[in-house]
Amino acid sequence: MSQVRALWAVGTVLLAAAGASTDRSWAAVRPCIPELGPRQLELGAGQGVMLGVLGGLRTVMADVSWLRSYVLWERKDQAGSEALMRLACTLDPHARYFWEQTGFAVGLDMANWEIRRRGGYAKLPKEIQDHLFTTYARKAIAILDEGARVSRSRAPLLIVAGQLAEMKLKDLRLAAAYYRTAAECDDAPWYAARFSARTLWGAGDRREAYDWFKAHWLSTLRIRYQDKAPDDLAEIRMMEDALLLPLAVRVPRQPWER
Amino acid sequence: MQSMRRIFWIARITFLEAVRQRLFSFLLLLGAALAGSSVAFRFLNFGQGELKFVADFGFGIMFLFGSLLAVVMMAQLLFAELDNRTAMTLLAKPLGRSEFLLGKFLGVWAVMAVFVLLLCAVLGAVLLSRASELAALAEEAGRTAPVVDGGGLVVFAVLQWLRLGVVSAMTLLVSAGARTFLFSVVAGMLAVLGGQLQWLAQDLLAKDDAGVFQRSLAWFATRAVPNLQQFNIGDALVLDPASVPPGAPSAAILSGFLHLTAFVVIACALFRRREI
Amino acid sequence: MTSAVSIRGLTKDFAVGIRGLKLRAVDDLSIEIPRGQVYGLLGPNGCGKSTTLKIVLGLVKPTSGSTSILGDDAASAEARRRTGFLPEAPYFHRFLSGRELVGYCARLSGVREDDIRASVDRALELASMTAAADRPVGTYSKGMLQRIGLAQAVVHDPELIILDEPTAGVDPVGSAAIGRMISAMRSEGRTVVLCSHLLGQVEQVCDRVAIMDRGRLVLEGSVEEVLARRDRHLLEVRGLTPAAEAAAREALERNGALLGEVSHPRRSLEELFRELVTGSKDA
Repeated sequence: MSQVRALWAVGTVLLAAAGASTDRSWAAVRPCIPELGPRQLELGAGQGVMLGVLGGLRTVMADVSWLRSYVLWERKDQAGSEALMRLACTLDPHARYFWEQTGFAVGLDMANWEIRRRGGYAKLPKEIQDHLFTTYARKAIAILDEGARVSRSRAPLLIVAGQLAEMKLKDLRLAAAYYRTAAECDDAPWYAARFSARTLWGAGDRREAYDWFKAHWLSTLRIRYQDKAPDDLAEIRMMEDALLLPLAVRVPRQPWER
Repeated sequence: MQSMRRIFWIARITFLEAVRQRLFSFLLLLGAALAGSSVAFRFLNFGQGELKFVADFGFGIMFLFGSLLAVVMMAQLLFAELDNRTAMTLLAKPLGRSEFLLGKFLGVWAVMAVFVLLLCAVLGAVLLSRASELAALAEEAGRTAPVVDGGGLVVFAVLQWLRLGVVSAMTLLVSAGARTFLFSVVAGMLAVLGGQLQWLAQDLLAKDDAGVFQRSLAWFATRAVPNLQQFNIGDALVLDPASVPPGAPSAAILSGFLHLTAFVVIACALFRRREI
Repeated sequence: MTSAVSIRGLTKDFAVGIRGLKLRAVDDLSIEIPRGQVYGLLGPNGCGKSTTLKIVLGLVKPTSGSTSILGDDAASAEARRRTGFLPEAPYFHRFLSGRELVGYCARLSGVREDDIRASVDRALELASMTAAADRPVGTYSKGMLQRIGLAQAVVHDPELIILDEPTAGVDPVGSAAIGRMISAMRSEGRTVVLCSHLLGQVEQVCDRVAIMDRGRLVLEGSVEEVLARRDRHLLEVRGLTPAAEAAAREALERNGALLGEVSHPRRSLEELFRELVTGSKDA
């Protein structure tokens, strides 16, 4: 009996050590594993994909979920397609495609479906239509924000969020802020900075737009791109002319400039 | 020394019996076939790079089939000995009950090694061959070629083998005290489910705003149940090794091994009180 | 000299059902089994024989009482090293050959690696299994399974051999062969504990018997002692005519004895079977 007790004691000590060791290992390993919180797990429950979540077949199940969402999207089933799209994002949160397409579907398509469902563009008052466009755009932007936090490809999602803010919310400053954050990402597309500067310029913050664009060109764009981003510099020169800036504050003339 | 010899022989016979089972051949061949043909399913892929899809599909198959195999085989091989009374014949010899149980466990774990090695070999071949094709295409298009890290695959194989060892050890623990094979299999599968969801408790424990009761519950859960999600870093290890923090795999290996050992030791304690 | 098996005040209760009602399988059992004899443990199904054997082998813990084997605690590894066991209706790994199985058991029993081959050969020969030793166990008949079971029980040269229903389901030829093996073990000085339903066989091979009923010991002694009816005698007469019978009856009555019954002696069906079936005389 004493041997049995000794075994129990050793086993319990080992369990405690294993638990403490897991605390450390999980903290180290967690960043490599797509984020899954309890809320996202609830979304997955009842969708027949627990197997995928639990079995490590997340990519596969996310793709299957996305395919199913297509079917519902064709039927203009707003709730069903959105749930499945969100599920795909949850199952494979590193994938940019799911977040981006979900943002587009929610921000662009679903408001139109709702308007048609309520009687169409001719019948529904303009204010309600605008309200619906705004509501769905905000929802889409929230999805894209979440995607930008967990996806490995942030900049394209921020660009889409900026586009929605610009087109649907008509909030140029918000759009410019998204484009700017995108431009400051490592995976920023070449046009992100220009988008940001132009949008902020359009919003009326012309000096602020110039100052940032100038600083960004000097610190990043001319270094990042082998051709030193001449189109961006041309845009900057246009802004300098429009702002009537003295030579001292302008971007110094570049040797390759005509 | 004598004890090691006895454990070796129990493990050897358990291994030989296990690899003769149809379930093993079936799951091994099906798993290898699915992993080998995963490239053919890549048309399903939307969100990720093709290699990521192939890797995730293969690793998912490996864990799913491996867990099923580990639970069923561990329970079946132990209950076969008990029900057929071979255990009675063996334990009437100068063979300790812990030696018997450890031999059974090591035999099943050796089977898991064969399973993981074969599936990793198939998956590695698929990934490497497809990666070389994609690299050629990427070169033509002037893009960065995808990378498949062979060393990462080896580390993943070790992690996967350990994960299946932990699953086997959990099933051994259940079987050591259970009366029926069915109960062991159901409880073993539930234990796998618990292990896959253990990270919820782990995250709760890491939160500062959780209540005392919640934290205590989470503390016990994280001690009693292993975190099986921590072994789920195959795609990162193989396709994006730079994203894996140094020391993360070894930390996971240490934690998994401690849980495995704890389960086997407690199973031995339970089995010593069992009437054969 | 210590007994081969010593059982003192052994009681075993099993909990039955979720309410934990106790079922007494063995009730205050005390038996001393001397060394070098064949000892028969008899009783109906459920009388506690198998439970007693399991306790002796350390497979089940007693509720109270003690058991020892050759002076060592029955649950100790040393006791089990000196004991061989053949369970009822043994089942072995079907994919192993008989030789591999016996070798496997020898290794588990602590036989040195250098001695394995000789020990296996000797055990196979004792069990008359040498010819079939390289066939897979899955192809064995029931009698062969019992004999290979016997081989694995004796491969490590134990001093005590416990056989639980060694002839259950075996035909008379095989049964007789097993009986002869038991006798051979006794002649080598080993102690054999035999648990059997076949009373005829027990009577033939055992030196002593114990009869159990409902967990208790109801009779224990040498076969001669327990079977002899000291108040009666048996005369075997040839050529008995009615006149001779009448004369014998009269003579016996004159001397105060009473002739109870006159009938023809019968041979057992087993004896007849062995006489008729080819090769069975030698089996």
